[in-house]
Amino acid sequence: MSVAVEASGVSKAYRDGARTVEVLRGASLSVAAGEIVAIVGPSGSGKSTFLHLLGGLDRADTGTIWIGGERLDGLSAAQLAAFRNRTIGFVFQFHQLLPDFTALENVMLPGRIAGRPPGQVYERARELLAEVGLSQRFDHFPNQLSGGERQRVAICRALALDPPLLLADEPTGNLDPHTADQVFELLLELQSRHRTTAMLVTHNPKIAKRCARIARLDGGILEPDQEVRDLSKDEEPGGAGVGSEPPK
Amino acid sequence: MASRLLLRPWPFTWLLALRYLKSTRRDAFASFLAAVAGLGIALGVGALIVSLAMISGFQEALRGELLSRTPEILIDLPPGADAEASRAAVAGVSGIRSARLEVRGSGWIVDGGKVQPVELIGFEGPVPAFFPGAAGKAPGLYLPEGLSTRWGLRPGEVLDVVSPKPTLAPFGGPVPRVRSLPLSGTYASGKTQEERERVALPRDVAESLLGSANRKIEVAAGGLDAALAAAPGLAAALAPVAPGSVVRTWADLNRPLLFALRLEKTLTFVAVFLIVLVATLALVASLSLVIASKRAEIGMLGAMGATGKTLERAFRTLGGLIAGIGLLLGASGSVATCWVLDHYKLVPVPGRVYFLEYVPFLVQGRDLAWVLLLTFGLALAASTWAARRAAALDPLEAIRR
Repeated sequence: MSVAVEASGVSKAYRDGARTVEVLRGASLSVAAGEIVAIVGPSGSGKSTFLHLLGGLDRADTGTIWIGGERLDGLSAAQLAAFRNRTIGFVFQFHQLLPDFTALENVMLPGRIAGRPPGQVYERARELLAEVGLSQRFDHFPNQLSGGERQRVAICRALALDPPLLLADEPTGNLDPHTADQVFELLLELQSRHRTTAMLVTHNPKIAKRCARIARLDGGILEPDQEVRDLSKDEEPGGAGVGSEPPK
Repeated sequence: MASRLLLRPWPFTWLLALRYLKSTRRDAFASFLAAVAGLGIALGVGALIVSLAMISGFQEALRGELLSRTPEILIDLPPGADAEASRAAVAGVSGIRSARLEVRGSGWIVDGGKVQPVELIGFEGPVPAFFPGAAGKAPGLYLPEGLSTRWGLRPGEVLDVVSPKPTLAPFGGPVPRVRSLPLSGTYASGKTQEERERVALPRDVAESLLGSANRKIEVAAGGLDAALAAAPGLAAALAPVAPGSVVRTWADLNRPLLFALRLEKTLTFVAVFLIVLVATLALVASLSLVIASKRAEIGMLGAMGATGKTLERAFRTLGGLIAGIGLLLGASGSVATCWVLDHYKLVPVPGRVYFLEYVPFLVQGRDLAWVLLLTFGLALAASTWAARRAAALDPLEAIRR
């Protein structure tokens, strides 16, 4: 199986006033195409940062990242944008749907950004929304949808261009347990059906256990192949976890 | 239907700008600022077009009034120049319709105890066009009708025309030259204040009063623009025959007034354009607010692959759309207003103070093009400046907030 993601010795630090916070320290990970990997770890351990680096939303201080045979550290901002458009599908904890666009339009956005023919983009968006059971919600704006529906639209948007890599940062973290299960099932189903490589950050042990592999981050150190063991200690008080936030 | 916009085969930047233009209506403060910007631009452009049209209307009326009394081209021949040869040389230049010798100088009209200083203009042949109302009539003495009315003159009455150029008499020293002539008719007095009232005379009479040393050639080229075009050719044609001749067009003859009119128009443009400047600041504020309120969305667009340039273009287009709507409203409203005011003569002015009974409005294509071009250019520059903030947003930072 070909390698979809190859991160080697990736480090990232942020300045917090006079203090430097090392979020990632030499993280290395290799993910095969079509694999689904859960990244777990306590809050502030660098999970989201690692995901952002893999998605070309941020740049590593040291180390190299290869996604689908493309090395990210030499790309310009415009090249990174084009890379994200054709290679990465993002799903965030908060759906991040554009409130001025309908569900259908939100799913069409990546295609229109890529400059694909409107008719083709439209058909693809309709197919995806129908696949997740939102045929009746095409023309609804995000504020007219429930939390689960919004996240399903966000997943469709992430898959709109059939990206080789899906990066999900706490995709169910903002949902009630029942809806979270439904959305995760859907994510798994779509990932399998579209043969997309997927990496998802989660605090939910149940979700992590359903993934083929688990990588654990703690204190900026990545342990790439963890056994499914006691993950409950990573859970946030109150249930739904949040992604790690680097200091601003 | 809302979901059809992204089906249009338009550039993504346009789709985004159009949607955000519509969405500003949902945000009360953003829509207020967008409305202030759009209406401000409409108001500024409207005020500019109306005020320039008013000045153009006045200018055109004044120019028509003034130029009907000014030769298209007047050539001052140097002393001793061969006037006939010079006239023939001028008449041979292409585009020249007529070239007539004339003599000009100061003098007085005397009727009994009344004296009026005048400019004596002696011409050959029929009365020239710059004596409106008398043009084309047989040579003779023609006075402005204002003077004729003031003095109660009738055609046929004999008047004395006096020249300051003296004749030496055998006894008593220098004596002013005087010719007595019957009044042939009058010409329409100008409504503008002229420097001196002019009097038309046959050339031989004028030369007997003023001498023949300072002859001039009055040239007609068949229009104001044609005269300006023909003038350089005249100087070249006269160079071998009468070197040192001075060729002056209607523009040279009225230079101070034309300069004042142009200056007035320019200063009005600058003063009223300040409204557009203020509206442009409102446009920057409006765009900045939209960008600030849509940070997360802009970040998400960046995460989906929209480049900084794409986002900059989208928000510049949004600014251009707001400005464009303002321009369209302002331009169409003001042009219609000008037409109504001019056509129905809705703004009267006291004719005794001004030389017109109402304010004329003339929208000139060139003025309109300048106003639209400058305003739109300024609005686009301001939009670009604001839009760069959207382009500079780091997608990750924007999503996190």
